[in-house]
Amino acid sequence: MNLLTEPVGLTHYLVVGAVMFVTGAVCMATKRNALGVLMGIELVLNGANLNFVAFSSPYLRGSSVFLGLDGQLIALFVIVLAAAEAAVALAITLNFYNNHATVDVDEADRLKG
Amino acid sequence: MNWHSFFFLLFSLVCCGFAIAVVATSNVVRMAFYLVISLSATAGLFFLAGADFVGAMQLMIYVGGTLVLLIFGVMLTAQRAFVSMRTAGGEWILAAIVGSVFLMILVQAAFRVESWTSPTTAEVPLEEQVTATRLGMGFLGLRVDGDAEADASTQTAMTGYLLPFEIISIHLLVVLVGAAYLARPKRRARQEAS
Amino acid sequence: MNPESVLPALLGLAWLLPLASFAIIVLLGRRLGKEGVLASYVATSAILSGFVLSAIAMLVWLGSAPAPEEHHEDESHASSTVDAPLVVRAQDAGEEHAAPVDAEHDDHAAEHGEEDHHAGHHAEPPRSYSGDWYLLGEFGDLRISIGYYVDALTVTMFCMVTFIATCIHFYAVGYMHDELHDVDDHEVTLEDGGHLHRRGRFHRFFQYLSLFCFSMLGIVIAGNIAMVFVFWELVGVCSYFLIGFYFERHSASCAANKAFIVNRVGDFGMIIGLMALWGSLGTFSFGDWTDSEGNQQAGIFSQVRPEENEYQLRTPDGMVRAAASEEVAQIVAETGDLEASETAIAEQIPEWRDGPEHYGYALLVIAGLGIFCGCVGKSAQFPLHVWLPDAMEGPTPVSALVHSATMVAAGVYLVGRFFPVFTPEVLLAIAYIGAITLFIAATIAIVATDIKRVLAYSTVSQLGYMMLALGIGGWVAGMFHLITHAFFKSLLFMGSGSVIHACHTNEMTKMGGLRHKMPWTAYTMLVGCLAIIGAGIPFVIGFSGYYSKDAIIEQALSFTNENPAHRILFLAAAGGAAITAFYMFRLWFMTFAGPPRDERVYEHAHESPKVMYLPLVVLSVFAIGVGWQLPGLPSLAGNTGLLEQARPAGTLANVEGGAWLPELTIPDEHLSHVKEIKIPATLIAFSTALGGVFFAAVFYGWRLLDPEDARRQFFPVHRFLLHKWWFDELYEIIFIRPAHVVARLAAGVDKNAFDRLIDGTATFVRGVSDQVDRSIDRPVVDGLANKLAQWTYSLGLGLRVAQTGSIRQYVMFIVVGTAALFLLVSFFWNPTWAGN
Repeated sequence: MNLLTEPVGLTHYLVVGAVMFVTGAVCMATKRNALGVLMGIELVLNGANLNFVAFSSPYLRGSSVFLGLDGQLIALFVIVLAAAEAAVALAITLNFYNNHATVDVDEADRLKG
Repeated sequence: MNWHSFFFLLFSLVCCGFAIAVVATSNVVRMAFYLVISLSATAGLFFLAGADFVGAMQLMIYVGGTLVLLIFGVMLTAQRAFVSMRTAGGEWILAAIVGSVFLMILVQAAFRVESWTSPTTAEVPLEEQVTATRLGMGFLGLRVDGDAEADASTQTAMTGYLLPFEIISIHLLVVLVGAAYLARPKRRARQEAS
Repeated sequence: MNPESVLPALLGLAWLLPLASFAIIVLLGRRLGKEGVLASYVATSAILSGFVLSAIAMLVWLGSAPAPEEHHEDESHASSTVDAPLVVRAQDAGEEHAAPVDAEHDDHAAEHGEEDHHAGHHAEPPRSYSGDWYLLGEFGDLRISIGYYVDALTVTMFCMVTFIATCIHFYAVGYMHDELHDVDDHEVTLEDGGHLHRRGRFHRFFQYLSLFCFSMLGIVIAGNIAMVFVFWELVGVCSYFLIGFYFERHSASCAANKAFIVNRVGDFGMIIGLMALWGSLGTFSFGDWTDSEGNQQAGIFSQVRPEENEYQLRTPDGMVRAAASEEVAQIVAETGDLEASETAIAEQIPEWRDGPEHYGYALLVIAGLGIFCGCVGKSAQFPLHVWLPDAMEGPTPVSALVHSATMVAAGVYLVGRFFPVFTPEVLLAIAYIGAITLFIAATIAIVATDIKRVLAYSTVSQLGYMMLALGIGGWVAGMFHLITHAFFKSLLFMGSGSVIHACHTNEMTKMGGLRHKMPWTAYTMLVGCLAIIGAGIPFVIGFSGYYSKDAIIEQALSFTNENPAHRILFLAAAGGAAITAFYMFRLWFMTFAGPPRDERVYEHAHESPKVMYLPLVVLSVFAIGVGWQLPGLPSLAGNTGLLEQARPAGTLANVEGGAWLPELTIPDEHLSHVKEIKIPATLIAFSTALGGVFFAAVFYGWRLLDPEDARRQFFPVHRFLLHKWWFDELYEIIFIRPAHVVARLAAGVDKNAFDRLIDGTATFVRGVSDQVDRSIDRPVVDGLANKLAQWTYSLGLGLRVAQTGSIRQYVMFIVVGTAALFLLVSFFWNPTWAGN
């Protein structure tokens, strides 16, 4: 099966979502900058969102099995939650920066066991 | 190869490429820029999937709101030492291995289901008019996209999202307050420190 | 006005007022004014209102009396508030034996004295109103209620009790004044040698007095014997509280215990009597009553003296049946039919009753003796008289009210109330107990030097007189003496209290000449002494005691004439009169006459405050006049007097012996007023009293003879009397020592057997539990728990390593974990799990 020759289907979207998700996860795991970690989170959320939208699309799945409106609604919720999360995370980051004069997450290991 | 496939390829490449670029660069300012592009391309993918409203929201809220917020954060903390923080090579390798394993699993799962891989030649009539009314009604607890072919139990299961909508609005309010609280300058502490 | 409804209401209110006062004082206590001073006002006003109500009740009674003398409500009331009740009282009491009426009585007696047994004349039962206020419960036949039985005796007793109690309340306000502030009790020595210092208990004294008045009035008004018993015990409890008022003093608490315990002995007999009555008669009620179905039921009195028997004593059917239970069982077995056997039994009952076996008669005697037992305890009769002299440890107002005028009179009152139930044998026993008591107590009083003890023994002696009078058939005489005695004995006690208040000592050997210092007390006490010895001008006029004591001696003489074998009863009465005169005047002379014996005490003495001697004056007026017959008023005693109206039906006749003592004759009381008996009796009483006074004057008044000489001369007798006939020592040996021995024995058994057993069991159980602890609890249960904790701890230590605190590592873990999960699922996933 060749993705490039096939007409665009669900799998295409899923692959793109998987790539975004994994890049997001790797971004979270490697960035020392707290803002970098946040960006990784955004990527992960977008990957997930892409899946929701894809599953809900009648163009991609046919009218009988598609997820319908639910997928889009949940995607919207995720966007809103991402905004909220970003705001709080940024506040935490700024607070951390204020207190420790750094944004390096490796420094924030006071909860070490 | 039609226009649809063309735009899909274009957007997905931009999307994935800039996502990888986000990971690859170590300069936080660039990271932010790449992320903007990547997310905008995702919005394009949404449009292609027929979710016009979600795509529009992606652009407005994500690109226009959340990312701008992030960029503010970058600017506030962008002192020389933090602009580019390098990670040790060992960690890169470890993350790459784990990431690629995870990616392989996901991709393999994407191909695993028969009905996903074989696209139904879509005989879906294009919407007469593009409207967000159905989504809005869904948020208000009313489903107007009732599937005529769905049986009764499915029908009853397709309820609206009024309660989650309300919860979300309260949640946003709390977040607003919380963020303002967390980010407020602690003058006294600073004065004492100085 | 309908006396049937008015009288119980009035008397019931008078009865309940002291209870209300008691409740108020209990609840408020010291908060009533400063240190509870208002308590005295509450209590006094309650009893005063009670007296007013009783006096009104007496007027109602007299007003509704069918007697020839009409009521006289036009008597003017004196203006002064203090005098007002006295006038009313004078109306109530009436007087007796003024010469013209006396003659009329004699005529009466002579008229009926020939062969007529008065059966027709006085056959009707006395006017009485009985009923129930409140039914406490009905358990089968047993009916327990708060009821009333009002007759002339009840009304008279109410007036007497409330009046004397009122006087004593006033007196106590003055006497107990010390209790208003903190008190140093010099009779209590603490361990460190100091004296007890305590808060005053003024309110508590009045609280007990109120409760006492309530209880005493409850006995008098009670409509059934169960209620009598309840209030009987309440009176006993009050007495206990009041005797033990200074409970820090060892002697006072001992005396309180003694009084209570000795009374229990008598009450034990009373309960037996109660059971005998109820078990065989099925009712506690005195009068007839109506049950819930409207049937008329016979009370105790009408069962014992039924109308068809002309109110003569007859063994009740119930008692006959109970005694002849074997025969009853036989009849039931023979006939087999319940109704038929009932009629057969009913036919047989008269035969059983009058047959040679006298079925049921013993039960009647037991019931009578049992009730009398209670009276012996309460009225301090031989052999239970030992508690009364010791009871003088209480404050003097208590002695005056409780231990001379009212509570001890309750016993006599109950004998009078139960008079219809007593068979001639029981009456004879009562007479002998009374005679013995009066003689013993009088002899002890001769040598006593404690002023209150002399009076206490004199009380015992006078109570013996009353019992004697009742026992020999002098119902009116006994009741009359009960009432007159209450007046002059409370007068004497309050006088002695006044003396003690002034001298701070009870010993007469330290007094003397006090009449110069405290004339009011001295001369009111002289009145009391004259009243108690029965002084008077023979056949003309005299103090109240003159009438009542002469009535007793007349009846005793009449009795002796009928039964020469029991001559000793008359001798005891006459001899007792002489001794009474001697010791009473010995008391008066020692206290008030001659030169003072102790200068220090004499210097210190002073007249008591007005609130104390005014009641004395009031009481002395009554001690003089309560026996008089005032024109236009019914007399208290006598053949047409007030008490005569209450005489139980059928007791006015010569009673020719009981079933067991056929030769005994209880003479008709009216026969004792005939000239042939009255004249010698009066002369004997007068001369004996005169002799007693003469001897007292020789020894103590003029001091012609030294009592020391007499004491040396009769040393053994004196010692015998001084030790009160060795009664306390005798009881110590007979009862207390054996009781101690038994107690010690029981304690030994307890310690050696039971304690050992229990200790052994405890040791055994402890051993077992130790073993279990060591072998199971510690290694298994504790070990398991400790092991678990240890595992948890080490697990935590191990997991601690993973908690690096680095966010990036956590992300790594999550990704790896998710990947692992996917892999695992892909290996083990079964497509059928998804449902297709």
